[in-house]
Amino acid sequence: MKKLLYLLFVLVSVAAVACGDSGSSEDDATTAPSTGASLLSDTPAPSSADDAAAPSDDNAASVETSETDQVVTEAPAREFTEPLSGGVFRRLWADPPTLDPHLTSDTTSAGVVVEVFSGLVALNVDLQLVPDIAESWTIDDGVVYTFKLRPNARFHNGKPVTAADFKWSLERAADPKTASPVADTYLNDIVGAMDFIEGNASEISGIKVIDDRTLQITIDAPKAYFLAKLTYPTAYVLDQETVEAGGRSWWVDNPVGTGAFKLAEYRIGERIILERNDDYYRELALLDSIVMNLAGGQSMAMYENDEIDITGVGLFDLDRVLDPTEPLNQDLVIAPPGFSVSYIGFNTTKPPFDDPKFRQALNHAVDKELIATEVLSELVQPAYSVLPPGFPGYTDEIKGLMYDPDLAKQLLEESQYADADSRPRIVVTVPGTGGTIGLDLEVILEMWKQTLGVEVEIQQVEWATYLEDLEDQKFQAFAGLGWEADYPDPQDFLDILFHSESGINHGAYSNPAVDSVLEEARTEPDVLRRIELYHEAEQLIVNDAAWVPMWFTGERYALVKPNVEGYAMTPMIVPKLQEIKIN
Amino acid sequence: MWVYIVRRLAWLPLLLLAVSFITFTLGRFGPGDPVIVMLGNRYDPDSQVTKNLRRELGLDRPFHVQYVDYVWNFVQGDFGESLRFRGQAVKGLILKKMWVSAQLSIAAMIVAVGVGLPLGFWIAHWQGRWQDPATVTVALMLMSVPIMVTVPGLLWVFCLKLHWVPCSGWGGFFDARILVPAITMGVPGIAVFVRLMRASTLDVLGQDFIRTAKSKGLEPKVVGSRHVARNAMIPIITILSFSLAGLISGSFIVETILGVPGIGRFAVESVFNRDYPVIMAVTLIAASAFVLANLAADIAYAFVDPRIRYN
Repeated sequence: MKKLLYLLFVLVSVAAVACGDSGSSEDDATTAPSTGASLLSDTPAPSSADDAAAPSDDNAASVETSETDQVVTEAPAREFTEPLSGGVFRRLWADPPTLDPHLTSDTTSAGVVVEVFSGLVALNVDLQLVPDIAESWTIDDGVVYTFKLRPNARFHNGKPVTAADFKWSLERAADPKTASPVADTYLNDIVGAMDFIEGNASEISGIKVIDDRTLQITIDAPKAYFLAKLTYPTAYVLDQETVEAGGRSWWVDNPVGTGAFKLAEYRIGERIILERNDDYYRELALLDSIVMNLAGGQSMAMYENDEIDITGVGLFDLDRVLDPTEPLNQDLVIAPPGFSVSYIGFNTTKPPFDDPKFRQALNHAVDKELIATEVLSELVQPAYSVLPPGFPGYTDEIKGLMYDPDLAKQLLEESQYADADSRPRIVVTVPGTGGTIGLDLEVILEMWKQTLGVEVEIQQVEWATYLEDLEDQKFQAFAGLGWEADYPDPQDFLDILFHSESGINHGAYSNPAVDSVLEEARTEPDVLRRIELYHEAEQLIVNDAAWVPMWFTGERYALVKPNVEGYAMTPMIVPKLQEIKIN
Repeated sequence: MWVYIVRRLAWLPLLLLAVSFITFTLGRFGPGDPVIVMLGNRYDPDSQVTKNLRRELGLDRPFHVQYVDYVWNFVQGDFGESLRFRGQAVKGLILKKMWVSAQLSIAAMIVAVGVGLPLGFWIAHWQGRWQDPATVTVALMLMSVPIMVTVPGLLWVFCLKLHWVPCSGWGGFFDARILVPAITMGVPGIAVFVRLMRASTLDVLGQDFIRTAKSKGLEPKVVGSRHVARNAMIPIITILSFSLAGLISGSFIVETILGVPGIGRFAVESVFNRDYPVIMAVTLIAASAFVLANLAADIAYAFVDPRIRYN
């Protein structure tokens, strides 16, 4: 008996050790998913409990930005007579995978890169294309772009920026050895660029240095969106000497850029400090410095404790913040939708989703308005089309597949899968590791069941595996995805996602009529006609019910300290911190 | 003794080779790869960009070439370059993170040992009285509180009410921000050390040599410190040294919630991102630490208890 007691004691001790010292490993399994998604997504505002609660983070965090501070106010006009003592702006950020502009492909990196580096052209906070290092340009025949560079543009090390620097930089970005994940996305229109990316050319033939201040770029066809693509960091200018001397880690040791801020300090996992570049070629920034806390934490709590100047507001804090008697309510800022859309995708080659009527029935059976108001506290805006509101080419004239339970039932009856017994089993796959699949998706599945009697199973797959299977078109239906614009042009949504030959048309959607309209739009020089073509394509895609569009990241709530002036919330990452001032 | 140590150490390379092979194989043949994660839903296996990335990261080479190459570099002290943080050396990345986790674990250990051992020793002398079960019960209750409750509770008190510390973040060992994570990680350990020390002390108290010591007229204090406490420490050392190995492995949950840039959080993120070189390095270092801590425990026995000899 005594022995037994002793054994029991040993067991208890062992269990105690297991729980005490490494108990976290057990807890990991239960809590990892909520944070997991945001870790993967490289979300700028890292994994806090409140952020995880925001619906668009839950559903589409893995792909789209969840920068909670999207669009809001017009930046007030600056008064240039004021002395430059703009103070310090503090915010939560996450470790950027890279600060090398040419390798940048995520919003976490881009948010820092656009402030430190720059290129020929840029987007301002109103998303208008503005001259940056190029002070002017001419376009001949829609394909030959001649840029005139500013005489006073300098690198942070004092060297002037020349046209040769741009040629070298663009070629470095496209070099197979650089292995930029986005080189083909942003540079493929330049004549000779694809040859160079494939390693079959010694230079990009379409880029010519006319003189120190004149650069000529020739593209393969008139494309309205080409300049917009050049605003992305892939096309930024770098100092050849710095990059070649520094090796692959040049941006850690000696990040010489051209932007309004210099990278003063980068301590992995701790902080990034940006300081004003007093030799900037445009209006100097007002802030003295920006401190980005990389250590993570609960954004809302840190804001309340005055550790950071801006935070997003998640579902759980929303009621409190919206209460006018709460002091925090004074800091509330409301942001119009970001440029992203979340959706449930169907593989249009796999039964039962190969029948458009079945897909349409599922669309008509979802009451998105109800979910948006009752479940998601209006943090999102229901989507019935593809292009987000405010995005170039957006129109509210697209006729969406609205909620109509009777029509849904009728369509289901007309489809070849009307009979529940012979209907194939339906599985929707979402990324994740055991956590919740998101309230909105749960409600949608329930609506399908109640309205149509269509039962759907859920399968969760870890993120990297999910991406691989998605690409292999293994999924019958998939959710938890969103698409966010790379550059403000409808081509970036419609052509890339729905052209039958696009490598990332994950639902294998194919409609020859859509293909031909999209191809015509690619090179249509008349802007208005081109937009019309995209409207036509979008309507066809919506009619075919290639997706169930779910949400445009709708009105998002953020808090900004009252002494911060001029923080513009933008639906895309653009250089904007030079506009801020701390009073 | 020295022969014993050398023999034990000689096993280390073989062990590491086995661990590295298993980890490497699991990584390469498991689903997903770093290029897919990097490209997200823009991934297209046939695109030139994908091919360029695979080639540049060396992932297009045959498995055995990659493995041999890895081992050869590792032997030379080169842990490679992170695939997620391209351009950053793995060694620099993980040493920083491990140092953070180690500081936090030491702080947590100070809490657990500093409270647990004296308490365990003390209540052993009160066996059968109310102090004994009361202390053990309280310690066990504290241990059973999940982190999801501990952390918000501590934050509410220290951060939001008392304003002693910022709510999250990290400033090093001597920064106030270490308080909440150290208490969170240390408190559950108190129960472990209380119970162990109590049992161990009781065991020693019943031994003949204690009776001898008492009967030859030694001061109770001297008996307590020189005979009881010292002998009671032997089993504790085992636990302590295993905890040492845990020093560098960190705690994913606490590090994530409280914004501590430690190795636990980093390792899990690296797995999700398929950052092979980082996963390899963390695994191998953790394996080495475990072996060395084990060895340290065996050696420590010999010092504490002269009866133990290794030959």
